[in-house]
Amino acid sequence: MSVGEEAGQRAVFPGTSRMAARMRDFDWASSPLGEPRDWPSSLTTAVRICLTSRFPMIVWWGPDLRFLYNDAYLPLLGSKHPALDKPGAEVWGEIWHIIGPMLDSVMATGEATWSEDLLLPMNRHGYWEETYWTYSYSPVHDDEGAVRAVFTAVTDTTERVIGERRLATLRELGARAGVARTEDEACELVADVLGRAGADVPYAAIHIRDGDGELALAAVTPGGEGAAGATAWPLKEVLTDGVPRTVSDGQFGELPSGGWSTPPVEAMVLPLPGDAGDAAIGVIVLAASAGRALDESYRTFLGLVAQQTTALVNGAIAYQAQQQRAEELAALDAAKTTFFANISHEFRTPLTLILGPAAELREALADAGERVREEVEVIHRNALRLGRLVNNLLDFSRIEAGRMQARFEPVDLPAFTAELASVFRAAVERAGLAFEVDCAPWGEPVHVDRGMWEKVVFNLLSNAIKFTFDGAIRVTSALDGGHAVIAVSDTGIGIDAAELPRLFERFHRIPSARARSNEGSGIGLALVRELVGMHGGSVAVESTPGAGTTFRVRVPLGTRHLPPEHVVEESSTGGPAAETADPYVQEALRWLPDGDRPARPAPAAAAGARVLVADDNADMRDYLVRLLRDDYAVTAVRDGAEAFAAACAEPPELIISDVMMPRLDGLGLLAELRDDPRTAAVPVLLLSARAGQEAAVDGLAAGADDYLVKPFSARELLARVRTTVQLARLRTQHARWRAAMIESLQEGFFVCDSDGRVVEINTAFTELVGFDAGGLPYAPPFPWWPDPETDPAAHRQVSDAFDHAWDEPAGGLVLPFRHRDGHRVWAALSYTGLHDDEGHRRLVGTIRDVTAERYAVQRESALASMNQRLAGISGVPDVLRTGLELLRELWDAQRVLAVTWPPDGEPEVTSTDPGDRRWADLAAPLRETLGHVRSLPALHATPAGSGVGTTVDHPGGRLTLWVEPAPGRPLGTEDRTLLALLAGTLAHALRRAHRDDRQREVAIALQRSILGPARLPAGFEVRYEPANPPLEVGGDWYDVITLPGDRIGIVVGDCVGRGLAAAAVMGQLRSACRALLLEASSPAHTLTALDRFAGRLPGALCTTVFCGVLDPATGALTYSSAGHPPATLVHRDGTAEFLDASGSLPLAVRASAPRPEATAAVPIGSLLMLYTDGLVERRREALDEGMDRATAVAHDARDAGLSDLATALMDRLRPADGYEDDVALLLYRRAVPALDFEFAADPDHLASTRHWLRAWLANAALEPDLLQDVLVAAGEACANAVEHAYLDGLGATAHLAARLTGGHLVVTVTDRGQWKQPPPDNHVLRGRGVPMMEALADAVSFRHDATGTTVTLEWRIGS
Amino acid sequence: MTTALTLVSGPGDGGDRVLTVTGEIDMSNAAEFGAALDRELAAGTAVTVDLTGVTYLDSAGVAVLFDRAGEHDLRLVAPRLLDRVLRVSGLTQVVKVMIR
Repeated sequence: MSVGEEAGQRAVFPGTSRMAARMRDFDWASSPLGEPRDWPSSLTTAVRICLTSRFPMIVWWGPDLRFLYNDAYLPLLGSKHPALDKPGAEVWGEIWHIIGPMLDSVMATGEATWSEDLLLPMNRHGYWEETYWTYSYSPVHDDEGAVRAVFTAVTDTTERVIGERRLATLRELGARAGVARTEDEACELVADVLGRAGADVPYAAIHIRDGDGELALAAVTPGGEGAAGATAWPLKEVLTDGVPRTVSDGQFGELPSGGWSTPPVEAMVLPLPGDAGDAAIGVIVLAASAGRALDESYRTFLGLVAQQTTALVNGAIAYQAQQQRAEELAALDAAKTTFFANISHEFRTPLTLILGPAAELREALADAGERVREEVEVIHRNALRLGRLVNNLLDFSRIEAGRMQARFEPVDLPAFTAELASVFRAAVERAGLAFEVDCAPWGEPVHVDRGMWEKVVFNLLSNAIKFTFDGAIRVTSALDGGHAVIAVSDTGIGIDAAELPRLFERFHRIPSARARSNEGSGIGLALVRELVGMHGGSVAVESTPGAGTTFRVRVPLGTRHLPPEHVVEESSTGGPAAETADPYVQEALRWLPDGDRPARPAPAAAAGARVLVADDNADMRDYLVRLLRDDYAVTAVRDGAEAFAAACAEPPELIISDVMMPRLDGLGLLAELRDDPRTAAVPVLLLSARAGQEAAVDGLAAGADDYLVKPFSARELLARVRTTVQLARLRTQHARWRAAMIESLQEGFFVCDSDGRVVEINTAFTELVGFDAGGLPYAPPFPWWPDPETDPAAHRQVSDAFDHAWDEPAGGLVLPFRHRDGHRVWAALSYTGLHDDEGHRRLVGTIRDVTAERYAVQRESALASMNQRLAGISGVPDVLRTGLELLRELWDAQRVLAVTWPPDGEPEVTSTDPGDRRWADLAAPLRETLGHVRSLPALHATPAGSGVGTTVDHPGGRLTLWVEPAPGRPLGTEDRTLLALLAGTLAHALRRAHRDDRQREVAIALQRSILGPARLPAGFEVRYEPANPPLEVGGDWYDVITLPGDRIGIVVGDCVGRGLAAAAVMGQLRSACRALLLEASSPAHTLTALDRFAGRLPGALCTTVFCGVLDPATGALTYSSAGHPPATLVHRDGTAEFLDASGSLPLAVRASAPRPEATAAVPIGSLLMLYTDGLVERRREALDEGMDRATAVAHDARDAGLSDLATALMDRLRPADGYEDDVALLLYRRAVPALDFEFAADPDHLASTRHWLRAWLANAALEPDLLQDVLVAAGEACANAVEHAYLDGLGATAHLAARLTGGHLVVTVTDRGQWKQPPPDNHVLRGRGVPMMEALADAVSFRHDATGTTVTLEWRIGS
Repeated sequence: MTTALTLVSGPGDGGDRVLTVTGEIDMSNAAEFGAALDRELAAGTAVTVDLTGVTYLDSAGVAVLFDRAGEHDLRLVAPRLLDRVLRVSGLTQVVKVMIR
């Protein structure tokens, strides 16, 4: 093939598919179609579409309909491939009779065809195959418009068509369930259905095992009767091992073809298993259609056919068994009646021998122990009951046997009935019901048998009590057209209309939703009917569910309806026989709350597996308990609801449940159990009187582990229970381990499912929050969360934490919970998120009770907080207010108030509520409550009114504290303990504050009265400041004493201690010191004498004193110090001189030794500072630092007036919290008196003016250079003044003033002339004066006004 | 009372003239001081003014010295006390001053 040819082929047969490659390589030259390049464009287009499609397609070309197809068509072609270019009739010979005409028609008419699910029996895999197709034939026109080919798109629908057909067969089989009553009928039914399904099952034969275990042909599909004998099939093998077998061609003869042309070549032999694992009941042979391979789906279909057959046959077997059982039951019932009839009276002798002695024992043991009496009561009661049952049965058997000995006598029926009814009065009233007996006499006697009538009335009344929970029971009598009518009505639960017809049936019990007891034999009403019937009467019932029931007994009057031999005309006398009434009344009493025995007898054998029995029938329940209790710990309950509750509370290892029960039946119970994670794994054995496969399947489908049909043998039951328990134990071993482990945890354990519900908890959890496993599952918001209404903050905290927990892999926190009984529980919670098998997120966690720890911590912190808060507070009112506020904060309380009770006047109220200002503002009940609390012993916190109250002793009398908690946050025991503790602390603080208050008042008064002279000599300034509260007053003092000879005595002292005592000592020492100074005039002598005085003054020991005598004229200071901090001289340059040259011991420490004395000079402008250590002493700081600080402040404020300086010192040295100790401060600044004089404005007077100024400056101890500067600058100013005056002419004067304040020197020169610009010729002279002043002084200012000119010169000295 | 001032003139060591001043110089006697100085300057030789004995000198005295410093060979001998006045007045910039 040339390159050009190849490109041409590729254009016609594009793509990489197998068929494209095949077509490109094909030798078209040998074909009638010829070279592709010569093909009409419509053909190449059709081929191209075909090859590039993934849908099965064919192009039939030319008159021969030659075959061109694509890759997708290959599987359809099977072994016919390759078929390229072959004539269509050759390729599809076997179906050409169907499709050939269709194709021809398209070629001829040019009209397309459409075929859906067309059956085409093909032979494409080596056998004749049943296939179905959906396809269309479309014409392909050439360029001239003639039809040249047919284009086909194909779909193989075989699988779908056959699948639907098989499904229909299975459905039809299923629809026949329950129709057949016998095995043979069932088999015929199957054969009949399969006979119509020959396309899939050409032949079927059912072989059923007979009574001897031999297989016998039960049914065969029509047409197959003579085919293939039983020996042709491996029937026995399949029956034995239950494994299906396939039999291939040759092993069986010719079978019916099922409508196909070819008979089956393969068949399957399948077992028909019995119910619930029983041995196989038979075998079915199912032949496979020859038109389909016996593939997996075919085998599955045949398997399902066998299964349906099994179900149908087993259903028939179960039906038969059921029938048989019903017959047996009927026989049994008859036998039972006969049996009871025969032996009931035999019971009476032993019963009498039980009842008699039991009655005597009751009397004899009236004083015995309670237990003994109870046991005897039980014997007596049950003997009575047994007696009644026996009597009833005996009555029945007598009636049935026609041997009832009646004695019909004339009776005043209303009176007699009322009398009988009155026996029940006590029981009715104890049941909480009204009892109305309305039996007016009607004067005409009614013939009744007294004994029988008693039973009629007692049974009806007993019944009424049983089903009536509130309302009334009513007994009425009336005459109605020749009949006596006695009616017993109740307002009980009523009876469904559907049940009414069976009401009087013997042994029939009404499935009741609610009754005082589920006990009952079902013969009471039946007996009533029989007994009334014997009187020729009838009993009718009317009932409305939920409203009540009325039984109406009608008895004809007269005697014509009675057998004459049993009618007597004389009346017997006497009331109802006690032996008849007792059993009824006793039994009725036992249903009532007082007489009720526990619904669940205590487990008998604790060692065995725990088995829960649920049966509404007391007899059955007791029977089961008796059977099982030797080997198992049995608990019995009355219905499904009780069973579920019991199982949730404590999952047993097996539940045996009746199917038919009131409230919740067995299947309902199963559903509930399986739906609850706690009980999902508990095995359940269902008991039912209902026979039949369907019922069993229902039970097993619902999840029962086993199913037992009543009646069952004890042995069978025990065997099943044993097996189930063993299996369950194995199965749940892991779960039990886990449960045991969780139960053993000290901490509370819980599991949340993916919906956030708590589905598992352990006992510790229950103990912590008070909610037990019986209430599981618990959905959020959980009942142990704080109440959202009353405690929203805590609720939010917990619910937020819960939401948060879902987003966290793990975590832990402490949360407030609410115990079931309402009290607050603090729990430390830790949790972990897990994913279960199904990928759902679960939460597993533990909780631990940390309430006690939390309260302990809270108590500690509250006490610490109280102490801390009260420490800084002085004054009783402030302490009380602060204490109350703290209590309020602690509990977030509504309010906290305190009341003191003065001896007279109204009680004083302090409250955190601003509204409670006065006693009268409080509500009357609260005032009363507070009055009660007042009488309590101190520090006993008890609930009072809506809050908690306590009392404390208070300096002003008793103090009553009352805390009104926030809504929903009641104060528990822990809180009350804490309140008592805090009240104690508060009381302590109040006492302290009160004492401090009193002392402070006295001490301040005292100190103020004795401190210092009212008038101080010039140059002195003093300050006293009490210490910060509560340590306010101390023993500090200062004194300034004017002494003879213009000298001044100065004293600063500090007594040890604080408060009133120290102030008193201080007063005496101060007076003594003053007197001694006046007398001795020498500091050393003064202190020596003071030593002796102090030695005799209690509390004066160790007082420190600085004592000095100053000559203000010279600044000479003589001083002596008794252990006092040295006085400080702060000089103008900021340097400090500490006067410590005569330091010695404090007063009275060594009384005999003479004290040293030193001298110092106080220069002009220097500051002498005397102080007590409170001014400078700071904690964690050397005294030097404080003294340096004082020096710095003094220097900094040196230019201020002395009073301002003293204030500045006190203010700037005062710590932020105030002085911790009291402070006495004494300042002295020696100053030169201000210079101030007038001088003649004359040049000749300038020299003398300078003289005075120079002398003043020298006195002020100015340095020579500065002195010269001041002198020259002032001289210039004076010259100015003279010049002004000179210019004005006439002898005027000018004024010079100079003063020195600390380091501030001010010189002013004032004239009264006009400031004039100097004349030009004098320029040089005057021009240098002002610059000179400005250069020499620190500041110069000129002020001109109408009166003259003032020049002010200033210097700052020492800066 | 006029300001005390003593003026003594005589030959100096280096052929110059020396005017020795004692007392205080202010506006009351500045003219007198100026006249005495002029007398010495009139000789045409260098003049040294010895202010060692002067305890006060203000702008009036300084002005006298300024007026003559430009045209004459004038030298000053002054005590330390007057140093500051001479300096702040700017006289030290135009006259040779020796502080003793």
